Amino acid sequence: MKNRLRVLRAEKNWTQAELAEIVGVSRQAVIAVENGKYDPALPLAFKLARAFGKNVEEVFVWEDGSLHEG
Amino acid sequence: MYTLHFVLYERLHADLGLKMTRQNSIPLVGPLLGVLCLASAIDIGAGWLLGRPGFGSHARILFALLPIPANLVLVTMIVRRIRRLDEFLRYVHLEAVAIAFLLTGLAVFVYGYLQKAQAVRPLNVGVVWIFMAAFYGLGYVIAARHYR
Repeated sequence: MKNRLRVLRAEKNWTQAELAEIVGVSRQAVIAVENGKYDPALPLAFKLARAFGKNVEEVFVWEDGSLHEG
Repeated sequence: MYTLHFVLYERLHADLGLKMTRQNSIPLVGPLLGVLCLASAIDIGAGWLLGRPGFGSHARILFALLPIPANLVLVTMIVRRIRRLDEFLRYVHLEAVAIAFLLTGLAVFVYGYLQKAQAVRPLNVGVVWIFMAAFYGLGYVIAARHYR
């Protein structure tokens, strides 16, 4: 799963620590998600998306080729 | 055991330069240290009483069980602390615990075989938790670095 966290965070001019504070998680969590090392569970994904005023699909992109829209 | 876990937990966060945010930090350090000191004092006291002659078997069993209540309070406090971590940190700690569990099992297994081969002395079970704590620290470093 890819995400646009780094870009969105840069647009808002937020540090990783600030985003972590807003979402209520550790900075480690933000770093891991941003680097694509950790895929967040739905509640955290929603919180991150809401922090930027976006929908989850606008922040996180599912890459698995096995799922196609009919 | 909890001392090492606690110190490892705090130290590793500092060593890796990955401080938790204010919102997610847990102000339990004071009470945890207090209970830890109390539990340690009871442990030492129980050990001292068990080392002294002149007590009956019932009293000795009572002394042996004395450390349980304070240590159960410690366990509860640590579990509560873990529950207040965010999902990512819980994930990291889960990996650390899994690594510690498996490596401790391996170490005990190998030691048992070495004991059968009469290459080492019988295992003192009191040192097993030291291996657990050390492997937990190692597991934490591995997991934290993997997800950075």
